[in-house]
Amino acid sequence: MEDDLISKKQLLDLTGISYGQLYRWKRKQLIPEEWFIRKSTFTGQETFFPKEMILSRIHNIVNMKDGLSLDEMADKLSDKASFEKVSLTAKEIIERNIVSTTTLRKFGESLGDESKYTFEELVHLFAVDRLLSAGEMSMEEAELLFRTLQEKVSRLESGSWELFFVRKMGVSSFILAQAPAELWFDEGVRLVSKMTYADLIEQLKGKLAYKLVE
Amino acid sequence: MDKNQLPDLIINGVSGGAGGTYNNVNMDGVGKVVGPIVARMFKGNGHMNLNDDLAAEEAECNGVIKVMGNMRFGTLKVDGVLNVGKSFRGESCTLNGMVSVKGDCELEDFVGEGSFSVGGLLSAGHVDFKLQSQGKANEIGVESLVIRQVNNGFWSKMFSGIIPKLRPELCARTIEGDFIDVEYTTADIIRGNIVIIGPGCTLGRVEYREQITVHPEAKVGKVEKAL
Repeated sequence: MEDDLISKKQLLDLTGISYGQLYRWKRKQLIPEEWFIRKSTFTGQETFFPKEMILSRIHNIVNMKDGLSLDEMADKLSDKASFEKVSLTAKEIIERNIVSTTTLRKFGESLGDESKYTFEELVHLFAVDRLLSAGEMSMEEAELLFRTLQEKVSRLESGSWELFFVRKMGVSSFILAQAPAELWFDEGVRLVSKMTYADLIEQLKGKLAYKLVE
Repeated sequence: MDKNQLPDLIINGVSGGAGGTYNNVNMDGVGKVVGPIVARMFKGNGHMNLNDDLAAEEAECNGVIKVMGNMRFGTLKVDGVLNVGKSFRGESCTLNGMVSVKGDCELEDFVGEGSFSVGGLLSAGHVDFKLQSQGKANEIGVESLVIRQVNNGFWSKMFSGIIPKLRPELCARTIEGDFIDVEYTTADIIRGNIVIIGPGCTLGRVEYREQITVHPEAKVGKVEKAL
C-alpha cells in the first residue's frame, strides 16, 4: 500500500507544480476529491495521492493546458462518455504507440471489424500489452487473459474492475474482481501483477487526449 | 429553457416558500424555504432560513441567512451573517460580516472584512481578508493569501481579552499556498513559495521554497527551506 502512495510534497517536487496549481485544479475538479488521502505521519497529518493515477493525471493536465481553458479540460477529463465514444484505427494505435505492434497483430484481428477499435477494446488491448511488454506474461497466457477480458468484463455489474494475475507452482491464472477488491492468497501463491480499470483508463486517457482536442 | 419563463419567488414580511427553479428570489423580512432553490438572482434581506441547497448565479445576503445544505454561486455579496451547513462553492465572494461554513469552502476570490470559520478546507485563488474577529479554518490551500488585522478600538480590545472568539486572529492547522502574507496567525504548519510572516504570529513550522520574511514580533518554531 505504501508504495502506491505519494505525499503532497514529493508530488510537487516531482512534477514541479505549485501548491496553488494543485488546489486550483482540485477546485476545477480536474483532480477528484477521492484522490486526496489523509494520513497521519510523525509531522502531523499529511495528504497522499495514489501515485500512478495522480502522476499521469498531472501529466495530462500539463500537456493539455495550452490548448484549452481549465473549465473545458475539466469537462473533458471528467466526462468518461466522451472517451467512450473515441474509436481508433489500427494505424493510429501503432502511430501513437498505444499498443505494441506484436500485441495488435496477435489480438487485433480477433476483434472482427479491424478498421476501428472501440474504447473498451482498447482498454483490453492496453491491459494485455502492458503485461506482455513488462515480460510478466507469456503469449499463451496473454491469449487467455484477452479472452477472459472480452467475455467476462461485460458481465460485471459496475464498470470498474480489478485484475489479479497469480501464479502457483508454475500454473498461472487470472482473477477478475469487481473494484475495489482485496484478495488474500495462501503462501504458495505469487501475485505477479495487479491492474485496476481506473488506472488503465487514466493512462489511456492521457494517450487519447489528443483525439478530443482536435 | 428560456430564462424569461421562470417564475419569481418573492417573500415579504413573515412567510414561507417552497424550493424550485426561479428567475429572481427576493426575500425581505423573516422567511423560511423548504426544498432546494436554484435561482438566477438571489436576494435575502432580514432573517432567512433555507433548509436545503441554494444555487444562484448572483446572490446577495443582507442580514442573517442560514443555508442548511450546499451553497453554490457565481458572485456573492454578504453584509451580515451567513451560515452554511455543508459545502460552499463559488467564483467570488465579497464579505462584510461573518460567514461560517461547516464543510469545505471553494472560491476563486475571497475578499472582505469581518470573520469566517470553515470546518473543512478553505481552497481559494486569492484571499484578501481583514479580520475583525477570529478567522478559522481547518486547512487553507490558496494561490495567494493576505491576512490583515483591522485596527481595532478600545472596546473590541477589551472584549477580545474576555472572549477569545473575538480576538482578531487567524487560526488554521495547515496553510499551503504560493504566496502567503499573514499577520496575527496561529498555525501548525505553513508551506509556501513566498512566505511573509507578520507580527503576532504563533507558528509551529514554516516551510518555504523561494523567499521568507519573518517579523521580529512573530513566534516561529522552525523555519525550513524546502528544495
